[in-house]
Amino acid sequence: MIRAGTRAGTLGGLANRWGFHAVLLALGALMLANLNWTLVRSFEFAFIWEYRIALINGFGITLLLTVEAGIVGILFGTLFAIGSQSPFAPLRWLVAAYVEVFRNTPLLVQLLWIHFALPLVTGINTTALVSGIIGIGLQAAAYYTEIMRAGIQAVPRGQIEAAQALGLPARTRWTRVVLPPAIRTVIPALLNQNISFFKATAIVGLGLLVDDFFNSALRVSNDTFHFIEPLTFAAAVYLVLGWQAGRWTLRLERRLTRGER
Amino acid sequence: MSFDVNIILRYYPELLGGAWVAVWITAVSLVCSSAVGAVVCIGRLQKHGAASRLATAYIDLFRATPEIVLIIWVFYCLPLLFDVRIGRYGCAIIALSAYGGAYMAEIFRAGVQAVPRGQIEAANALGIPIFHIVRRVIVPPAIGWMMPALVNFLTELLKATSLLALIGVAELIFVASTLGSKTFAYMEFYTAIAVIYFMIIFPLSVYARRAEQRRLRRTGN
Amino acid sequence: MTETAQDSANGANGAKEGDPIVLCRDVVKRFGDFTALDAVSTEVRVGEVVCIVGPSGGGKSTFLRMINGLEGIDGGEIVVDGIHLPGGKKDIQNVRREVGMVFQSFNLFMHMSVRQNLILAPMTARGLGRKEADDRAERLLERVGIGDQIDKYPSQLSGGQQQRVAIARALAMEPRVMLFDEPTSALDPEMIKEVLDVMRELAESGMTMLVVTHEMGFAREVAGRVLFMADGQILVDAPPERFFSEAEDERQANFLSKIL
Ligand SMILES: Nc1ncnc2c1ncn2[C@@H]1O[C@H](COP(=O)(O)OP(=O)(O)OP(=O)(O)O)[C@@H](O)[C@H]1O
Ligand SMILES: [Mg+2]
Repeated sequence: MIRAGTRAGTLGGLANRWGFHAVLLALGALMLANLNWTLVRSFEFAFIWEYRIALINGFGITLLLTVEAGIVGILFGTLFAIGSQSPFAPLRWLVAAYVEVFRNTPLLVQLLWIHFALPLVTGINTTALVSGIIGIGLQAAAYYTEIMRAGIQAVPRGQIEAAQALGLPARTRWTRVVLPPAIRTVIPALLNQNISFFKATAIVGLGLLVDDFFNSALRVSNDTFHFIEPLTFAAAVYLVLGWQAGRWTLRLERRLTRGER
Repeated sequence: MSFDVNIILRYYPELLGGAWVAVWITAVSLVCSSAVGAVVCIGRLQKHGAASRLATAYIDLFRATPEIVLIIWVFYCLPLLFDVRIGRYGCAIIALSAYGGAYMAEIFRAGVQAVPRGQIEAANALGIPIFHIVRRVIVPPAIGWMMPALVNFLTELLKATSLLALIGVAELIFVASTLGSKTFAYMEFYTAIAVIYFMIIFPLSVYARRAEQRRLRRTGN
Repeated sequence: MTETAQDSANGANGAKEGDPIVLCRDVVKRFGDFTALDAVSTEVRVGEVVCIVGPSGGGKSTFLRMINGLEGIDGGEIVVDGIHLPGGKKDIQNVRREVGMVFQSFNLFMHMSVRQNLILAPMTARGLGRKEADDRAERLLERVGIGDQIDKYPSQLSGGQQQRVAIARALAMEPRVMLFDEPTSALDPEMIKEVLDVMRELAESGMTMLVVTHEMGFAREVAGRVLFMADGQILVDAPPERFFSEAEDERQANFLSKIL
C-alpha cells in the first residue's frame, strides 16, 4: 500500500525503523531480565508424559465437542437458514430471535443456564458433558444459521426465479439449486467458525468441569503443583492446532476463489 | 417450579455491581488493546524486517490461542514466571489486552489499507507533513471504515469478560453463581445475567450490522 | 498566476523567466530488474509548457512522479530550482513546495469539503493562517470557474469539477512548476474541455508545466515542446509543428499514425 520508496512521508518513515526496533529490543531485554530464572531452570516437561492417558482422553472430549459443533451446527444451521427465508413471518421471527439470543450472550452463561437452570424447568438432570454438548450445539446452530443465510442470499435471485419458472418443487429447488452454491461459497466461513468452536470447547471444560483437554491439563497442574509446564504445553497444543487449521482454511479459501474465476 | 422475580429485585445491587465490573474491565481492556494494536499494526505495515515478522507472529499467536486458555495461563503462570503479584484484575486486563491487541492490530491495518493509495500520494505530492497526513488524510476515513469491526470486537470483549469468573473476578457470572449457591435460585440469577448481557450486547451488534451495511452501500460493493 | 510567479521568483532559489527550472541528468529508475527510465536527460525553462506523449508503459508517469519526489531516484539527478534530488527529506519537502501535481484520478480527499481540500496543505505545509488560506481557496476556485462549489464534498461534483478542484488544490501551494499526469483521461468527453481550458489559461499566465496527455490538439496548441517517451527514454524532443508534421523516429511515426 504505502510505498517504501517514498522516503519522506510514509507510515514506515513515521515508525522510524531503527527507533522501533530499539524499543522492541528494550522491551525484550526488560522481560528477560525480570524472568524468574531459578524457576525457569527448574522446568521439567517430562512428568507430563505420566499423565498421557488422561490428556489423550481429554483431547478426545475436545475433539468430540468440536466435531459435534460442526455437524449439529451445519445441520440445524442449514434448516434454520431455510426457515429464515420462509414466507411465513412468525417462523422468520422465531429463527431471528433464536439467532440473536445465542449470538449476543456469552457461551459460558448459556452453559451454566443449561446445566443449572434448565433442569429446574424440565426436571431432567444432565451430566456436565451432556450439558456441554447441548450448549455447544445450540450456539453452533445459531452461528451457522447466520453463515448459511449469508450464503443463501449470495445465490443470484435469477437462479431461484429460474427454478420457480421451471416449476421445480420447493424441495428440489432448495437441495439442487440454492444450497449447493450457497454451501460452496461459505465453506471457508464454516471452517473458520469451527476453529472458533474448537477454541470454545475449553470453556465447556473449565466452566462445567468436563474433563476435556484443557481441564485435564489444569488437573495435572493442581496434582503436581507444577503450573507452568502443563498449562504451557496445553496452550501450545491449542495454538499449533488452531494456527495450522487456520492456514489450511486460508489456503482452501484461496483455491476456491481462484476456481470461481 | 416458579420464577421468583422478587429475589432478583432483592439482589439487584449485587447484579449491577457485577455488570459494572464487566463494563469497566471491558473499557480498560479496550484502551490497552488499542495501544497494543497500534504498535503491532505499525510493525505489521512494515514491508520486511524483524518488526514485521514479530508483529505477524504476535497476531498469529494471540488469535490462534483460545481466550480462556490465555486467561488461565496468565493467571497461573505469569506471576510465577516474573515473580510478581499481579492480582486477578491485573491478570484479567493483561490477558484481554494481549488478546485484544492482536484483533485491534488487524482492524487498524484494514482501516489504513482501506484509504486509497492515491489520497496518500496526493497528500505527499502537496508536501503535507507526515503527521498531518496521518491525522487528517488517513485516520478520518479509516475510522469510518473500521467502526463496524471495532464495535463487533467490543461485543467479543464483553462476552470474553464472562470467562473472568473462572479466575475469580467478581463479574456477572461470578456474582450470579455466588448468589445462586446462597439462595438456590440459579434459574432466576442465570436468567437475569443472560438478560443483562443481552441488553448490553444486542444494541451494539445491531449498530455494527447497520454501520456495515451503510458502509457497503457507500463503497458500492 | 503572475502574482504567484513573482512571489516565488523572489524566493530562495528564484529562477527567472527563461532560466532552466527543472533539470534532469541521466535519470535512471529501476523496479527490481526492470529499468523504467534509462538515462533520461532534459531541461525545462521557466514559463515553458512541455507535453509528454508516448505509448503505455513508456515511463511518462514514472518520470513525472520522480520530479515530485514520489519515486526515489536510482541514478543521475534532478534539479528543481536549485534543489538537488536525490536528497534528504528536507530536499524532497522543498521540491514538493515548488512542484504541484495533478493526477489522472483526481485523488481529492473524499472525506473533506472542497474548502478543506484546498486549505489543508497551505496551512500544514506552508504555515498559512486560516483566513489567508480561506481567501486563497476562494480566489483559486473562482479562477477555475467553480467558486460556488466551495462547501460541497468531492462526491457531489462531476469529474470535470473534481479535476478543477484538484488543480486549484495544487495551485494553493503556489508552486512554480505544475505536473499533469493524463488529467483528462478519466473524464467523460463533455468534461474534457472545461479542464483543458483551465490548463490553457494557466499556461497563458506563465506557469511552467509538464503535461502527460493524449490530447494532441492541446499539445499542438499550447505546448512549446513535445517529448516522445518510449521504453524509458526520450526519443524525440521537438516543437509541436515539427513533431506532428515530420516524424524523426520510427516508433514516433507508428505512434502518430495510431493516435491522429
Ligand atoms: N511501482 C512499480 N513497480 C513495478 N513496476 C512499475 C511500477 N510503476 C511503474 N512500473 C513499470 O514501469 C513502466 C513505466 O510505467 P509508467 O506508469 O511510467 O508508464 P506510462 O508511460 O505512464 O504508461 P501509461 O500511458 O499507461 O500511463 C511500466 O512498465 C510499469 O509496469
Ligand atoms: Mg501513466
